[in-house]
Amino acid sequence: MQLMRSGRNRQISSALGLLTANLLSAVAAHAQERPVDQIAQTVTTTQDDYDPGSDLATGRTRIDSSVLFYQEAGGRVKATEPVTSFTLNGSDGETLNLKLTSDTLTGATPNGAAPWSQDQVFTTPAHAPGTTATVTGASGGSRIVTIPGTGTVARQYTAPANTLPVDSGFRDQRYAVDIGYSSPLGAASRYSLGGSYSDERDYRSFSVNAGLSRDFNHRNTTVSAALDYEYDQSAPIFGTPTPFTEMNADVKGGDRSKSVIGLVAGVTQVMNRYWLTQLNYSVGRSTGYQTDPYKIISVVDGVSGAPIRYLYEGRPDNRLRQSVFWGNKVALGPTFADFSARAYHDDWGITSYTVSLSDRIPFGQRFYLEPGVRYYNQGAADFFHNYLIDGQPLPSFASSDSRLGKFSAITAGLKLGFRITRYSEIYFQYEDYRQSGTTHPAGAPGGLADQNLFGGVNATSAIIGLSFAFR
Amino acid sequence: MPIEPNSAMLTRLVQGHLYQFRSMASPCEVHIETNDQDIALRLGRLAEAEATRVEYKYSRYRDDSLLSAINASNGQSLPVDEETAALLDYASNCYALSDGRFDVTSGILRKVWRFDGSDRLPSKASVRELLPFVGWNKITWRSPIIQIPPGMEIDFGGIGKEYAVDRAIEIIEAASDVPVLVNFGGDLRASKLRADGTRWRVDIESVDRSGPSGAHLEIGAGALTTSGDARRYLLKDGVRYSHILDPRTGWPVKDPPRSVTVAATTCLEAGVLSTVAMLHGRGAERFLRREGIKAWWVR
Repeated sequence: MQLMRSGRNRQISSALGLLTANLLSAVAAHAQERPVDQIAQTVTTTQDDYDPGSDLATGRTRIDSSVLFYQEAGGRVKATEPVTSFTLNGSDGETLNLKLTSDTLTGATPNGAAPWSQDQVFTTPAHAPGTTATVTGASGGSRIVTIPGTGTVARQYTAPANTLPVDSGFRDQRYAVDIGYSSPLGAASRYSLGGSYSDERDYRSFSVNAGLSRDFNHRNTTVSAALDYEYDQSAPIFGTPTPFTEMNADVKGGDRSKSVIGLVAGVTQVMNRYWLTQLNYSVGRSTGYQTDPYKIISVVDGVSGAPIRYLYEGRPDNRLRQSVFWGNKVALGPTFADFSARAYHDDWGITSYTVSLSDRIPFGQRFYLEPGVRYYNQGAADFFHNYLIDGQPLPSFASSDSRLGKFSAITAGLKLGFRITRYSEIYFQYEDYRQSGTTHPAGAPGGLADQNLFGGVNATSAIIGLSFAFR
Repeated sequence: MPIEPNSAMLTRLVQGHLYQFRSMASPCEVHIETNDQDIALRLGRLAEAEATRVEYKYSRYRDDSLLSAINASNGQSLPVDEETAALLDYASNCYALSDGRFDVTSGILRKVWRFDGSDRLPSKASVRELLPFVGWNKITWRSPIIQIPPGMEIDFGGIGKEYAVDRAIEIIEAASDVPVLVNFGGDLRASKLRADGTRWRVDIESVDRSGPSGAHLEIGAGALTTSGDARRYLLKDGVRYSHILDPRTGWPVKDPPRSVTVAATTCLEAGVLSTVAMLHGRGAERFLRREGIKAWWVR
């Protein structure tokens, strides 16, 4: 009799470990469906109640349905987003997924102007291009006025002193459909094709994608690559303003568009029976209109800091984004942990890092609890300015959108899942999102030094979802 | 010592209890590390219920099993339930990983091979006639639909008992913290260290039964399975024909170890690895070494 332990080429044994873990967890539901006491009582009667026909039922179509409620602090954006997705599994390993989304956004968004110690009045168009009817009523604190001497009808709203100026006049409804198909290609490969379309009042987006993946090394290694193309059409309600022109009530120019081409390539590796790791690189190039047509930037007096005028913002027409993502799924005892890190850089000058950690903890056979935390940090885009100084030459591009500024954010969340039957689950998720950034940047002139210039947001979201499968 | 109506038996030991019953044509036992008789009985019954469930669903000896229904499909496509689908996926992966050595369709070779210690070898022709009915690659498996060509059969003999052990351990672990060792016909798995913190002592049967136990091993949590031809072989002209049949040839593999015992986290893994090791015949040790498998063998 001999004993041995060491070895290097663990091809079968490591793959088998993972397969076995999968098998045992996949079927864990079957016998545990009955309460323990009931099983004990049927020890001697099992032979009678076995019915071979009843076990031939299979669940093949899955429906996931959820509603997201999102609320930003301070009465800003509020969103409700119902999502329903259907996944059909064919008999040849192919899957077809259809996802329908609709969201309703209401509330106020920062218009980009800096706060000031006195009330600020903003004047915007009240008509859509080519019409004379006012498209917005006196909602959200705004009013319709006729500018004296010109006959131009305008919408005006006032930002109170010492508060971040927001525009409350918008309500947006978006509908989106996503479709994806994937199928095996020979024994070790898979391809996927997909597309999406989304539509809202002032924006439309189309995209198509195609991907290929291949397994190697006894399915312990998967290499994948995917290409996608997106075409977006921006049709702002009052037309497209010319960057750096002064905010006014005139109806603006026509629709604009942008296109995005992206590539994602990655490797997924089974490290051992407890650990799956994934490394992805993605690169994307956007070309076309990427300015926010509703955002303005304050031009302030270089001494007092008082606003003099408001200009429409302007962003470059090209953007090259790159990111590296490292994801891990680790079985820690009875729990499942998910750890990921992401580094991102684009040629607008934004560099960001994300670290995310969550752990799924089962409680008994039916419940699980999944706490999670995510940290995000980004540097500002080269053309980010809280405001511009009057009399100084205009930069080529400028935006005061806080999403392009320097900030960090922490998300903390908790998910609770409950398995109702063998094939259905209900879950609740609650997340708290907090941004922090520079509220009083150095060098703010005059009274601006006393204003909180950080336009970041705190938000909470709640999701309730139901997932079930049927034949 | 209460006697169960279906001849299951609970025995009080110096440390803990022993629950014994018969299932899957094998003696089965569960060591339960508690002195509480009610708990021991309850956990023993859980293991038995699962063994019985798996046997009634997957026994090839029972006409009313799901497996028999699948094998009687006579070439028809048949949908199967999720558990069976998962097992078939598993078997399919084992077939691929072992380069066709581990094959759930090979049981049909028993029609010509009877390992009774005699010298009655089947004729080459009779083996050759069966080969068209052996080979997982001839089965059309597109989960959840299986289509088995007429004359072929599926047999979970290589994984069924091991699967039952793993399932029994999981069910007991979900119901109680009491340490247990589940042993279904020699395929065994311990849930954790014994109640007093020591390891379980497992005796490995002597291959030739000439004397005391072959050896003993100690395990904490984990599984042990043994594949071997201790009692099942044919002997002709001084050549020993092992009962380990290579599904690719229909003939016994050449010169396998007398037995291979494999330790792994789960019984399924250990069982497949010990079987595949034996199927490597003369190369069994090289396979075990290359894979870095914790194993003990007897030549």
